[in-house]
Amino acid sequence: MTTLSTKHLLGIKDLKLDDIRLILSTAANFKEVLSRPIKKVPSLRDVTIANLFFENSTRTRLSFELAERRLSADVINFTASSSSVSKGETLIDTVNNILAMKVDIIVMRHPNAGAAEFLSRYVNAQIVNAGDGPHEHPTQALLDAFSIQEKFGDVKGLKVAIVGDILHSRVALSNILCLQKLGAEVMVCGPSTLLPKHINSLGVKVSNNLREALEWCDVANMLRIQLERQDIRYFPSLREYIQLFGLNMEILSSLSKKITIMHPGPINRGVEITSEVADSDQSIILSQVENGVAVRMAVLYLLAGRTAE
Amino acid sequence: MRTIIRNVIIADKSSSFNGRKVNVCIEDDVIALITENSVDHEKADHVIDGSGKYLFSGLFDLHARFREPGEEYKETIDSGCMAAAQGGFTDVLLMPDTTPAVDNKSQVDYILNRSIGKITDVHVAGAISMDLKGKDLSEMHDMFLTGARVFTDDKHSVQDAGLLIRALLYSRDFNARIFNFPNDKSISGKGVMNEGQQSTLCGLRGIPAIAEEIMVERDIMLSVYTDTNIHLSTISTAGSVEKIRRAKKAGYKITCDVAAHNLLLDDSHLSDFNSLYKLMPPLRTNEDISALIEGLKDNTIDAICSDHSPEHTESKKTEFDLAAYGISCLETSLSCAFTALKNHLDHAEIFSKLNSNPRSIIGLPVPVIEEKAKANLVLFDPANNWTVREWDIKSKSKNNPFINTQLIGRVEMVYNNSILHFCN
Repeated sequence: MTTLSTKHLLGIKDLKLDDIRLILSTAANFKEVLSRPIKKVPSLRDVTIANLFFENSTRTRLSFELAERRLSADVINFTASSSSVSKGETLIDTVNNILAMKVDIIVMRHPNAGAAEFLSRYVNAQIVNAGDGPHEHPTQALLDAFSIQEKFGDVKGLKVAIVGDILHSRVALSNILCLQKLGAEVMVCGPSTLLPKHINSLGVKVSNNLREALEWCDVANMLRIQLERQDIRYFPSLREYIQLFGLNMEILSSLSKKITIMHPGPINRGVEITSEVADSDQSIILSQVENGVAVRMAVLYLLAGRTAE
Repeated sequence: MRTIIRNVIIADKSSSFNGRKVNVCIEDDVIALITENSVDHEKADHVIDGSGKYLFSGLFDLHARFREPGEEYKETIDSGCMAAAQGGFTDVLLMPDTTPAVDNKSQVDYILNRSIGKITDVHVAGAISMDLKGKDLSEMHDMFLTGARVFTDDKHSVQDAGLLIRALLYSRDFNARIFNFPNDKSISGKGVMNEGQQSTLCGLRGIPAIAEEIMVERDIMLSVYTDTNIHLSTISTAGSVEKIRRAKKAGYKITCDVAAHNLLLDDSHLSDFNSLYKLMPPLRTNEDISALIEGLKDNTIDAICSDHSPEHTESKKTEFDLAAYGISCLETSLSCAFTALKNHLDHAEIFSKLNSNPRSIIGLPVPVIEEKAKANLVLFDPANNWTVREWDIKSKSKNNPFINTQLIGRVEMVYNNSILHFCN
């Protein structure tokens, strides 16, 4: 298989196992390219990509932009603060105005779940979902899977715990779907107020005890506490959250085996994980960032190839 | 005007002709003749073939919005009345959530005056609280004298139990009816769909069943405490059905209704974020649908309503979280209910949930198909398996998810106030 089965990348939900495998193997090729002295390839010359960020993001936007430039695409950036969104323009109008300038691919981050899927029904461009509210963040899940595969050789049969604010996390849902498709077992762990009530219907294990989750898993993905998404208080204080769900060296070194630590960033050092853990040899956080560029290059390359057919 | 309907089956449980195939002759406002013998066609203005079709009394909708005054770009009383007639509703009860809200006598007066002389008879529900804010009682008695028989804060739901007690006690003195839509907002919060596996997969905020059921339970207790009727609008969960069933067994004065679309559609329709399915109450699960149908069978649920909520394109064609709730559906509610129920309930029983029971709930006389009675009639073809098209929708708003889908059973003709309307 050399092409994706989908026109857009809206979520992991729509990807077949072969699609995921194709993206991961293509990403491995691009990672090799990125280690060369000349990191730029001409694959997407004459392709114009617009990065539309209706929500704050630094690393995802930079990672996409770097991926696009390394593929030689023409890139334009649009962020909500400098946009007409505040003037009451609808999402479809905003995007169609940008498309009128002959844009081929839209990479969009948006605060509302389903925004990418909604847009894909009304505009004539390929859409890459760079995070839609608490729904999906497919490229993050793909780069996480890539990083796990790189470390362990295969994702299949591994046990992965996702810890923290599952309720507001798009990373959690995309990771659950992606890891399950690749044959891993997934557990979610956090305070009950931050776990969706029906999360077990997705076939994941559920725990409210950090130590239990860490003892069970091979890989722990520590999610950021997204205070900006919480319109009401789901736990009394950060202090108490840290006491219950903060990962420190003391817990990590007391486990019966050496587990791998991941984090989608940006890290609240001292909250979900301490600096010592983040910077320890068990952490692959910086590899995740590095792999993000390769995975996003793979996604854009494969999507653009689909149009060329 | 003389209209003859030939070979039609009467579907009216209170009529002596129920279940019989007859010829019906209508003269102006009155059913002049019902007979199994042939009728002289010569002088008739219209002769309609009723073979294989049902004739029953005009439907009464307990829950509709015509958006006038305030949002006439979504619906007007004129367009709303046409939408109602198209769907077989000769009577509609309009909710008070206009702009400004119907919380005083002059608002009631305005709507009733705007509705004179139409095929559809319009009834007005007043607000329980001023501007639907849930704080201070509105002048219910003054509105009652002007023609409002029902009071409700509609989708705002009365959150303050003390206010609802005062409303129940105060309106009891003049025999008005209180409707409440059960929804505890401290639980439903910013929810946009049913809480379940589907909401988890969509990353959308869920509205748990308990947000509805906790208020059903509360309202039953308030009804008992005040010894007053309370009507629960648009229930949607299996738990609500069970609580109301128990309350009715205990002899409490509870009635309730369900929106037709909650009998046919479940929350799997939201998998691709189609905001036409964003509703309040939300579409629930298949188990809930089965429980609602059981509730209709054993009369736990008294009535079926449309919950007609016209919305213009812009308020639906947007991000799901930002889209308006509701469906514009007066034209399709009967077909929707019939599609969902035709294999579960006796057909005359289905129609009674939409014509006689709603009238009984608010204390209005129930029309019966007999000679000399007022001609308030609907002709319905139960075998018509039809595809809804946009031109079938007479509402100004087209937020109807049934467009381009198939429904079973179709209204062919409506007759009321000496006006004949053909729906095809």
